[in-house]
Amino acid sequence: MSKKLILIMIIFLTLIAGGMLIGTDEVTGAAKQTVTVAKVKKAPAGLDDPAWQQAKAVQVPFEGKEKFAGKKATVNTKAVYAADGIYFRFNWQDAEKSVTKGAWKYDGQKWSHQEGNEDRISLLFEIERINKFATKGCAVVCHVPPGKTAKDGKFGTTSAAEKGDLWHWKAARSDPAGFADDTWLTQISEEKGGRKSDAGKGGDKKNMTVDKSKPMYMPAPGKKLSANDILLVAHAVEINDYSGFKAGDTLTYRMPKMPEGSRADIKAISRHADGSWTVVLFRKLDTGHDDDVTFDPRKKYNFAMALFDNSGDEDSYDSEVLTLQFAR
Amino acid sequence: MNKRYGNQVNTFSEILGLADIIARMKLVRVPDDALTWHRFSGSLLLVLLVLLFLSGAFMAFYYSPVPGTAYDSVDYAMFSLPFGDVIKGVHYYSWNFLLMVMGLHLARAFIVGAYKSPRQLVWVSGVPIMLLIPALIITGDLLPWDQNGFWTTQVRISIIASVPVVGDFIVRLIQGGPLTGIAALTRFYVLHILFLPALLIFLLVIHFHFLKQRGLSGSWKENHPNRLSISFFPQLVNRWLLLFLAVTLALGLISWYWPAPLGDPADPTDSTFVPQPEWWVLFLNQLVTLFRGSLTVIGSVIIPGGLVALLIALPFLDTSPDRHPARRKKVILITLIIGIILAGLSIMGYVKHFSETHS
Repeated sequence: MSKKLILIMIIFLTLIAGGMLIGTDEVTGAAKQTVTVAKVKKAPAGLDDPAWQQAKAVQVPFEGKEKFAGKKATVNTKAVYAADGIYFRFNWQDAEKSVTKGAWKYDGQKWSHQEGNEDRISLLFEIERINKFATKGCAVVCHVPPGKTAKDGKFGTTSAAEKGDLWHWKAARSDPAGFADDTWLTQISEEKGGRKSDAGKGGDKKNMTVDKSKPMYMPAPGKKLSANDILLVAHAVEINDYSGFKAGDTLTYRMPKMPEGSRADIKAISRHADGSWTVVLFRKLDTGHDDDVTFDPRKKYNFAMALFDNSGDEDSYDSEVLTLQFAR
Repeated sequence: MNKRYGNQVNTFSEILGLADIIARMKLVRVPDDALTWHRFSGSLLLVLLVLLFLSGAFMAFYYSPVPGTAYDSVDYAMFSLPFGDVIKGVHYYSWNFLLMVMGLHLARAFIVGAYKSPRQLVWVSGVPIMLLIPALIITGDLLPWDQNGFWTTQVRISIIASVPVVGDFIVRLIQGGPLTGIAALTRFYVLHILFLPALLIFLLVIHFHFLKQRGLSGSWKENHPNRLSISFFPQLVNRWLLLFLAVTLALGLISWYWPAPLGDPADPTDSTFVPQPEWWVLFLNQLVTLFRGSLTVIGSVIIPGGLVALLIALPFLDTSPDRHPARRKKVILITLIIGIILAGLSIMGYVKHFSETHS
């Protein structure tokens, strides 16, 4: 072998070794956590798929706000990606499974709404850069007028150029259909917030009569209740005869619709067992929709999460902003 | 004048009218060992500089030196253009390796006594180049307008501001005002892509001028009056091109597998962000940390300035004709002590900023 060739090989190998040593670990500040999305050959098929073992778990701390002020929560977070999809797995302690969401209950004489709301988890990504979201997180999209509480606040960005992608898993209103609600954030206005549903159909339908005194729908013949004992719109049929109900019977109040179009991008699987929720959300890396963030495994992303325990409003546990980075 | 004008012109160089220049280049002879395994750092530095110029020029096409758009323009160049991240990576790794190879180049020149007569000015003309590279890095760090670049610049500016008498003036000069904003970014950009590269080329020309005048240093054992030589063109140029290709390929692969970092967009209101110093500046950072308050000037100016002065003065302090390290024990020992201290400071800095942070 000629000396020239040896020299070239030595330089080549030294540079590669040097590159590995220099590394590219960037400084992200002391508090910012990174969730690394592991690359897997085969996408996880469920909550306990072996593919999840390839992902490093990150314990994401959450701080309680409003009603939960002073309380803390932790969500064990994992993420993997395969050929064209990204998969998140969340696990958090929640002794009580809350899926009531004002469900109807019959006492033998009349129908009334039960106490109780639902458990939820939401994620916010940037579709187009939201000013200071990378450092301040959700605080920059929550606008509370001076002197008012969070309940009076509006959710949205400060300019039309800033766009957020909000994934909203709801134990009662989206999970039974097998989805998380796919919404997005745009500029806030004085009249209303900047929260929009993705293109397509979805959401839920209130199950009540025009006079709001009782439910209007029940499971269609041959149709069963879905996960968490929730009645889907697709499985419901109008009640013609209320005499068949007996005391103690319950019926879903907020019936999830099967989403379509861009609103049906985020699929969900869940389980509540042994006092904890395990939720998997998955989506295509690139949905091709303008109202979704496009994940490019070469890039890093900022995201923040919120956890809602039996809550229907702004009472939540919020995470700090996190970094999402893809392993190659 | 080309003798074949008017007749048939059949080579590419003749078509371009370069035949005479090439003929002259062929007459230039350089030592046979001009680019060999023990003497390649200078050529490698040139390769890395060329790569920095080329990759930097590519990024400049897309860069917007305004705080509101700088980050997005870099993000666009990296992730929306084909191989944009690889080109940014080549730029990033090139300057990292440039510093390392520069250290090797300096160390070799010192060990073989290449600074001694008659090559004192080759050595002296190299020192400003060595100082200019960090200036290019410092001005370049701010350009992506990311958190690390922004806050690292704040630390550097505060160190400059601590220099007595001229500190504030220099800060105003480079920053264009009291805060790091649009004026600072514009000035850093202009310095980074125009003035500093122009100055670097000027200094390189001077360095090469002295190199050509005084020749490459031979073995430390003795001077070889009958050293073998090769032609500058095409032999040396071909070797260099081979090196250029190998390094480009290596850095391209490194950049592909370990992409250059781009942090979060700069948030001047986020005072909680703690920038960590880059590896090459750890010893300086530690010096500044050791000397605080009224003594800051010792760590920020006197010691670094003294080291630079020592480097420049070395050929005039060590004037003995001996080049063999065994016969230069005193100089070697002093340098070794300085080197160990600097390495120790770097390790202390690393432990402080990296190990302790992650533990």
